[in-house]
Amino acid sequence: MLKLFKEIRKAGDATTGYPFEPLAMPAGFRGKPEHNEKLCIACGACAIACPANAITMDLNDDQSYVAWDISYGRCIFCGRCQEVCPLFAIELTTDFELAVLNKADLSESCAYEVARCAVCGKPYAAAKEVDYARRVLKSVGGPAAADVGKLDECLACRRREDARAFQAQARTEGGAR
Amino acid sequence: MIENDFPASLQWRPDPVALDASVAKAKEKLLQSIKRSVYVYRVDCGGCNGCEIEIFATITAAFDAERFGIKVVPSPRHADVLLYTGAMTRAMREPALRAYQAAPDPKIVISYGACGCTGGIFHDNYCVWGGTDPILPVDVYIPGCPPSPPATIYGFACALGLLDQKLHESRHVAPAGEQAPVAFPAIPYKVRTAFEREARRMSGYYYGKQIVDEFMMTLAKDKTDALAAADRLVERETDTRKKAVFMDLKALLLSKVVQE
Repeated sequence: MLKLFKEIRKAGDATTGYPFEPLAMPAGFRGKPEHNEKLCIACGACAIACPANAITMDLNDDQSYVAWDISYGRCIFCGRCQEVCPLFAIELTTDFELAVLNKADLSESCAYEVARCAVCGKPYAAAKEVDYARRVLKSVGGPAAADVGKLDECLACRRREDARAFQAQARTEGGAR
Repeated sequence: MIENDFPASLQWRPDPVALDASVAKAKEKLLQSIKRSVYVYRVDCGGCNGCEIEIFATITAAFDAERFGIKVVPSPRHADVLLYTGAMTRAMREPALRAYQAAPDPKIVISYGACGCTGGIFHDNYCVWGGTDPILPVDVYIPGCPPSPPATIYGFACALGLLDQKLHESRHVAPAGEQAPVAFPAIPYKVRTAFEREARRMSGYYYGKQIVDEFMMTLAKDKTDALAAADRLVERETDTRKKAVFMDLKALLLSKVVQE
């Protein structure tokens, strides 16, 4: 009997002390995705990559802000958002304490000002993203930087302009034969 | 709820169970302080069984939920807590309701896992009505896919009033004119893109990004001799697979170097 007790003592306690003491999660544990509002440019790459649509991006009613929104209740902690983010704006932490009593507490959102197209006036991207793209294109230089002026226009307007330029060129050169 | 383009007036909506006033009061008291062991009955409404595996991991010796008196019971008639896992599917609605009605009042309902909370990755499936809450009054939501055993214990601690919830709703509005810094300004953008592509080609997406970030961080830190810094990084690495990727990235860096 005493031997058994000694044996038990030697084996130690396998049970974790959590929740009475903090629990260190191993590196690489995929917990709560932490969004850094300052680094985020609201490009929407994470919203496109998110397989569960936990991250969504929507314009608000008067189309002045685009809201980045995450629902931790829907998140499957795959890490795709972290992986596609060009700016380290969203990173999975080891935080696992996500249980809530009220469902609204599972959501987090951040609104960014939109940029409007210089030609048609429709909102086409977040102002922060356009600013970021302008700085990156300038740093790249070469033919890419030549198009910096066109950043103020939405995709549809740029396509229309390109098509018109092509048409004009085709007319002056006699068109495709 | 169901998110589709079909007119809402033509969609069938589940009618949620309403709580009786006296039952609601008793439940409030139960949620604040439960002075006895809690018996848990788990209902799988159409999950993938991942959550069940984690529930059983929680009641094993390593996490030992039974030290708080939490015990999984085989009948809803014994249960204080109903643990709903999985998205609420059309076929499992009736059994889920039957389990709810069979449990004695007052009872705590917990939504477990991403599917239980909101429908998770299956939220827009044709036979899924979202999580548990369109049908039953839920008290605690435990998100995760699946929630790890400590997350489960935390959820139960929240439900039993031992711990307070940490997560709170946040509505942030970014100030106008805020600028985001370009990551790794010292490394030319095109070189950075080439590094990122190569690392992802070598070791897949999630880990590829981690490796390339570590590599570029090392390069950016050393202001004088980036090649020597890369050499040191390769030298230091003990994981041969990671080392191979670092060596590959270094070769790419060498190919980008121009003599002045």
